[in-house]
Amino acid sequence: MKDLMRLRSLLGTEVEALLNNQIKMEAYNSSVYLAMASWCDRNGFDYSADHFYKQAEDEREHMLRFFKYVSDMGGTAVSPSVDGIPQEFESFREVFETALELEVKTTQAINNIADKCYKEKDHVTVEFLNWFHKEQREEEYVARRCLELFEVIGEEGTGRWEIDKAIPSVSYGNE
Amino acid sequence: MCKKVAPAITESYQEVFRTKSGCIYQSDIEKSLLVEFANKIARFDIRCLQRLKSAVFSINLAEMATDTSRTTDVEIISLCACEHCYVLTLGEIINFRELLAGAFVMFELNSIIQERIYSIPVYA
Repeated sequence: MKDLMRLRSLLGTEVEALLNNQIKMEAYNSSVYLAMASWCDRNGFDYSADHFYKQAEDEREHMLRFFKYVSDMGGTAVSPSVDGIPQEFESFREVFETALELEVKTTQAINNIADKCYKEKDHVTVEFLNWFHKEQREEEYVARRCLELFEVIGEEGTGRWEIDKAIPSVSYGNE
Repeated sequence: MCKKVAPAITESYQEVFRTKSGCIYQSDIEKSLLVEFANKIARFDIRCLQRLKSAVFSINLAEMATDTSRTTDVEIISLCACEHCYVLTLGEIINFRELLAGAFVMFELNSIIQERIYSIPVYA
């Protein structure tokens, strides 16, 4: 009897479900970053707003990479619905704390997919995920460094204005 | 008026999984699956059958069992881009779940057999 499932798709059912969850997670992240950009704009943090607009774009690009991969491999890529996006934040600092938490959760989720792929010997998907492992190194580094500015510069006086100005210069370039 | 003829279980169809309430068959020639359940035989491709399984397993049985309104006595399962529709009672849904879950376990098992017994020795 032919293996119709395998002939139709490279992806196992569980890996496909995990990849679709990741599509949803990346879409959620993109929307949260957009909400952060809006909050920063409303509160006069122009440079941080630009930073979060860019992050929102990056997350959407990640979502599309996952989406295309699922689709190309014969799976069903599910266009995600996202809700429950926080629109308000307690403080400038909380925005960056939330950003770091998002990135940590994303790294964990991608690691979980890789774990599953290793278990199922799906090395093709592992190879696809390698790009994201590298990307998460950068994403977490940037999110952590941005948050550290709050300690290094301090929020007193013109501190938050200086932090905002320093945000665009945070990058991970030690490849 | 054109009358639709139910697909026949020809010799090319092999039994994948059977329960008291139904049976799922596979044809390698037609690359399709036949589902014999709820007094009808319906043809699906593997992707449609996967979607059907998701739809059947996403029904909240507890809610259906405890809700006293008449509308929850049956569940209508219709899939987009698929000509088949099922109207099932609670008991039928439980039976359908058993049939579909069993068939997909057999597909997984077949996948392992194909990989371990046939694919590797041929190219070893």
